[in-house]
Amino acid sequence: MGRMTTGGQGSAPRTLAEDLRARDDEALVRLLRARPDLLSPVPNDLTQLATRASTRTSVVRALEHLDRFTQQVAEALAVTADPCPYATLLTLLTGGPGPAAHGEPLPPETVEAVTAALPRAVDVLRARALLWGGDDRLRLVRTARDVLAPAATVPSATGLGPSVSEATAGMSPSRLQEILADAGLPATHDPMSAVTALAGLFADGVRTAALVGSAPDDARAVLDRLVWGPPYGEVRDATVPVRAADAVTPVQWLLARGLLLPAGQHNVLLPREAALSLRGGRAHRTPEPTPPAVTPVPRTERTVDLTAAGQALTAVGTVGELLREWQTGGPAVLRAGGISVRDLKRTATALDLTEPQAAFWLELAYAAGLIATDGEVDEAYAPTPAADLWLQQPAQERWAALAAAWLTATRTPGVVGTRDAKGRALSALGPDLDRSLAPRVRRRTLRILAELPPGSAAAPDELLARLRWDRPLRPGADALRADLLRWTLQDAENLGLTGRGALAAHARPLLAWHSAAELSAATVAAAGLLGPLLPEPLDHVLLQADLTAVAPGPLMAPLAETLGVLADIESKGGATVYRFTPESVRRALDAGRTAAELQDFLTAHSRTPVPQPLSYLIDDVARRHGTLRVGAASAYLRCDDDALLTELLADRRAAGLGLRRLAPTVLAAQSEPGVLLDKLRSMGLAPAAESADGDVLITRADARRTPPRTPPAPVTDGPPVPAGPLLGAAVKAIRAGDRASTAVRRSPADSAAPTTGSTGAASGDGLPRTPAADTLATMQAAVLSGESLWIGYVNAEGSASQRVIAPVRVEGGYVTAYDHTVDEMRTFALHRVTGVSELAEDSA
Amino acid sequence: MSCLIVQSDKTLLLEVDHEQADACRRAIAPFAELERAPEHIHTYRLTPLGLWNARAAGHDAEQVVDALVEYSRYPVPHALLVDVAETMDRYGRLRLSKHPAHGLVLTTTDRPVLEEILRSKKIQPLVGARIDPDTVQVHPSERGQIKQVLLKLGWPAEDFAGYVDGEAHPIDLREDGWALRPYQKQAVDGFWHGGSGVVVLPCGAGKTLVGAGAMAEAKATTLILVTNTVSARQWKSELVKRTSLTEDEIGEYSGTRKEIRPVTIATYQVLTTKRKGVYPHLELFDSRDWGLIVYDEVHLLPAPVFKFTADLQARRRLGLTATLVREDGRESDVFSLIGPKRFDAPWKEIEAQGYIAPADCVEVRVNLTDSERLAYATAEPEEKYRYCATTATKRRVTEALVAKHKGQQTLVIGQYIDQLDELGEHLDAPVIKGETTNAQREKLFDAFRNGEISVLVVSKVANFSIDLPEATVAIQVSGTFGSRQEEAQRLGRVLRPKADGHEARFYSVVARDTIDQDFAAHRQRFLAEQGYAYRIVDADNLLEEDEAA
Repeated sequence: MGRMTTGGQGSAPRTLAEDLRARDDEALVRLLRARPDLLSPVPNDLTQLATRASTRTSVVRALEHLDRFTQQVAEALAVTADPCPYATLLTLLTGGPGPAAHGEPLPPETVEAVTAALPRAVDVLRARALLWGGDDRLRLVRTARDVLAPAATVPSATGLGPSVSEATAGMSPSRLQEILADAGLPATHDPMSAVTALAGLFADGVRTAALVGSAPDDARAVLDRLVWGPPYGEVRDATVPVRAADAVTPVQWLLARGLLLPAGQHNVLLPREAALSLRGGRAHRTPEPTPPAVTPVPRTERTVDLTAAGQALTAVGTVGELLREWQTGGPAVLRAGGISVRDLKRTATALDLTEPQAAFWLELAYAAGLIATDGEVDEAYAPTPAADLWLQQPAQERWAALAAAWLTATRTPGVVGTRDAKGRALSALGPDLDRSLAPRVRRRTLRILAELPPGSAAAPDELLARLRWDRPLRPGADALRADLLRWTLQDAENLGLTGRGALAAHARPLLAWHSAAELSAATVAAAGLLGPLLPEPLDHVLLQADLTAVAPGPLMAPLAETLGVLADIESKGGATVYRFTPESVRRALDAGRTAAELQDFLTAHSRTPVPQPLSYLIDDVARRHGTLRVGAASAYLRCDDDALLTELLADRRAAGLGLRRLAPTVLAAQSEPGVLLDKLRSMGLAPAAESADGDVLITRADARRTPPRTPPAPVTDGPPVPAGPLLGAAVKAIRAGDRASTAVRRSPADSAAPTTGSTGAASGDGLPRTPAADTLATMQAAVLSGESLWIGYVNAEGSASQRVIAPVRVEGGYVTAYDHTVDEMRTFALHRVTGVSELAEDSA
Repeated sequence: MSCLIVQSDKTLLLEVDHEQADACRRAIAPFAELERAPEHIHTYRLTPLGLWNARAAGHDAEQVVDALVEYSRYPVPHALLVDVAETMDRYGRLRLSKHPAHGLVLTTTDRPVLEEILRSKKIQPLVGARIDPDTVQVHPSERGQIKQVLLKLGWPAEDFAGYVDGEAHPIDLREDGWALRPYQKQAVDGFWHGGSGVVVLPCGAGKTLVGAGAMAEAKATTLILVTNTVSARQWKSELVKRTSLTEDEIGEYSGTRKEIRPVTIATYQVLTTKRKGVYPHLELFDSRDWGLIVYDEVHLLPAPVFKFTADLQARRRLGLTATLVREDGRESDVFSLIGPKRFDAPWKEIEAQGYIAPADCVEVRVNLTDSERLAYATAEPEEKYRYCATTATKRRVTEALVAKHKGQQTLVIGQYIDQLDELGEHLDAPVIKGETTNAQREKLFDAFRNGEISVLVVSKVANFSIDLPEATVAIQVSGTFGSRQEEAQRLGRVLRPKADGHEARFYSVVARDTIDQDFAAHRQRFLAEQGYAYRIVDADNLLEEDEAA
């Protein structure tokens, strides 16, 4: 696609819009990718784009996304004259040739590094439309200047104060002349020239040095304090005019000569020009052209991967356990959202975790869309249908899904339990847990680790320093980031993305993606790498005479599930130890298994013979299981063993049940069957419930599921970066709009003569105008040629818009077309189309 | 694939059939306590005490971590390794030693630790002046106390303050026709080089000889603390037989006799007898300048004895026991007051060497009659166990079992005296219970040993330290609510090596579907965890099988 320029082609751009117009499409796509907020809604033309790029909100956001050095470059530009040649900018960063009066000159290696890094920084600023103009006339966008320039109220990162002209605004002309005289300058005719003369003096390093050289030592000490900022000092009375001859104190000496200027009743300031001269021309004491180094701490790669893989398996297991724990209904949703502290504690205990850990896994499962609220009247949390799918996947895919969810989630479990600004405690799964910074810190941290040699860990302090350089933040956000980094390192270890602090091989694919489609490909790749590292699921256990079963590794899902019912888990880790108890066997029988089935199951899955005491236990429990049968309609108890019933009747503990003997083998009860069952069980009996026609009822708690739910969308602080095709279309649209508007400016005569030629006609409102017949003809032609058209369209509400469409079909007064502006098929009423114009680049 | 799995709850699972299992067991045994040893997978546990025992034995954290990492099948959780290193690092930061000028002092290699413990309210009364930033004086009388408190604070102190030699007395082993077994020799050496500590050996493995060996090393006056009088007499006869000591040199200090000789054997009971709020027999500890104190059955050491022991820290102490598990959970007091574990060998290993007999454990389930079940259901809760443990049906089954093993030396062990009397009557066998005089007991034991009587009914007085070498069948009819320790002791009765290599039988007769069965499950779990094959049989089947045979 051709580099398009209009208007002042060949000459220097006069505005940001002109500068943008001169850039190629690629550059515009880069700009829109870096600053997606410019795209909502799609601007009509480049002038609008430039205006939007200069709004304060957008500029502040763009500045916050710069690295430390690029920010320093912008700061330096903000304290110097506009426009600023490249060489001046370089001097601002590295210092002038003369020796600095205060502070050491920069070491040569820093100067070299700054010189090397500056072109990139300038390019970045330019690409983000914060800077425009050629290298001879670099111009910082006005708004950026305002944001970064030192003002009386806002301290600047450079530590520089307002300029002489800003600081002397409102000073009486006579006072100005007095200062001029005391500074050894000739008098001038008007205040303007006086300010210029003074500023000129201070900007001249040699003369300033001479002036300061004549100052008494204690006056120089005052300057020393102010020179690197903050440039303000407090005095008793700053506004009293002092002449050099009357100056007693060092501050007075400086005030008399204008080296200090009053800034209100009790404050004085060091004007920017003077400070810069004293600094040897440097805007920053320490330019940071290169990111701080992160020292790799070597670990064995194999150990890293294995440790991480082991942890990955634990992670998948923990979430699986959580889902099972909440299977039959999770905790209730608080009115404000989230779960109560007590429920969190209960879940933590059930999973054998600490509360912060439990909050982490809960939030992870929530972010991955595995748990959600069920939307019932008594709202509670429960696994989603997606959880069932997830549970059936192989371990590595389950892990990859969790890891991907973690990387993109803005939910931050680390803040659970702390209080928000209003003093409300933040609850797990509750509102206000989103931190848009979180996914960026996670991804950035892991990417830094990925840049180290494989198998290297890094010290958290160094990582933090690096993050700070990559993206300096306001102090509040910076503190949050320090926390986020800590949690990130912890979570990454827990999730098995890192092992012993080093990035695992299987986590690498997860770091290189830009769109949702790429992310899903990345998870597949990550799962593929993790797979071979995981132990093979086993299909057998070792049964022992002490009524335990040891699974010496992860078990296949169906086996693990059945064993989980038949036995209690006693110890977890690489292996699982199960214990058989009469209760657990009864649970399996209650779940509808028969003793014979259980025996077969154990025989089939045991690598060793089933120990005699275990088969005895199963038979013994089965023998008693179901001996008692309880009716549902009017509770009854029947039993073939009438001695047992007699025993039961005589048992004092059963008194509350109101048992009465109906027949030698049948008892009736006053209480509800459920109560009856519980009581009998608590007495150590093993009754079975019975249906109306005498069959044994199998009671198994139903698994609860929410209706289909989507995982919570990450909350970011700006609109999402649009995908490539959309960006291309947007640029096309802007370009088209721009072409239209500039065309009008260039040849207004064209608008009177409608043509179907290269340039569409546009009226004053920017919409193309063509007669209906031409519109129809052009549309039909476009259907045949497959060309895209630029149209003006007035919708049902009467609002006009410009669109770029590719017509597909024209019939019945409607045109069906692909709308590039919104990236989908749309139907337009022909009578609402104000006019069409072929797209400029197609005909050019 | 290696043989060890490290679990997140700090248990270690060792696959015993694995070819590396032996090497691995040797590597982890010094720091991990064997918790369960059933047939396929043994469970070890990492505890702070275990890790400190390893430190006391000269192992460092690196060895432990290496062993875990080397043998582990799956990656060892990093947090666990860190925890191991940190725990082990806590041992030895503080040490008790003798200072030429200031007497007993506590020194540290890590000043903040000393600061931390000195701020504890429990430590303050035990220490004296601060001598320098790293040293503080300790009242000599509080040597035991301070060790106890420091252990509770998590900073166990190493004791380098040494021992008094005690009054010398010549003692030698008389190895004529017998010799210390290799493991007994290792136990004696381990103890002697460690200074003080506990030797863990299974019942029947000859702990008395380890005691004798230690005395022969010390060659000094010795105080031996045992559980009861019968045990005291056995110690005496064993010492006379195995060492150069004569009857006159050995005194018995018990309820009946109060002799103090160069070697004195005292019972826990007499020491802990309290009259008018004081322990009148405490002067025993001070009555001689003892060079060695031997504690038999350390896991039963009554709480007051701990208190006396705390004052005896300058004397060498040897603890002998079959298990470090105390049902009152005072393992840490054993560690700090008597000393760390100096030697230990699992039952199965010694059994494999042929020093103790293998045993076949059988639980016999008895169906109660309908009327018995009814009576059981209506019994008061506190009477339930007693009722079901002593039913007539059980008695009949027991008789049948005795009849089945006719001619073999059989012990019937129970808890309830009237049940035992009844059994004695039906079996026509003598009964030994609390009121049986010691003379009578010894007579009966002798007769049993000589084969003059083949069935003996004993109450729980026989739980401890009686020696019945020829018992091949033990039948347990009732017990102390499923105590695992009791089970270990009773099993010990039949584990002594048999002259004919016959396999020992250990029966438990249990009433089905009662609380008796629940207690039995507890005990049987212990047996299975110790690696003994055990079966459950229905009494009916057992008797039928018998008739068929």
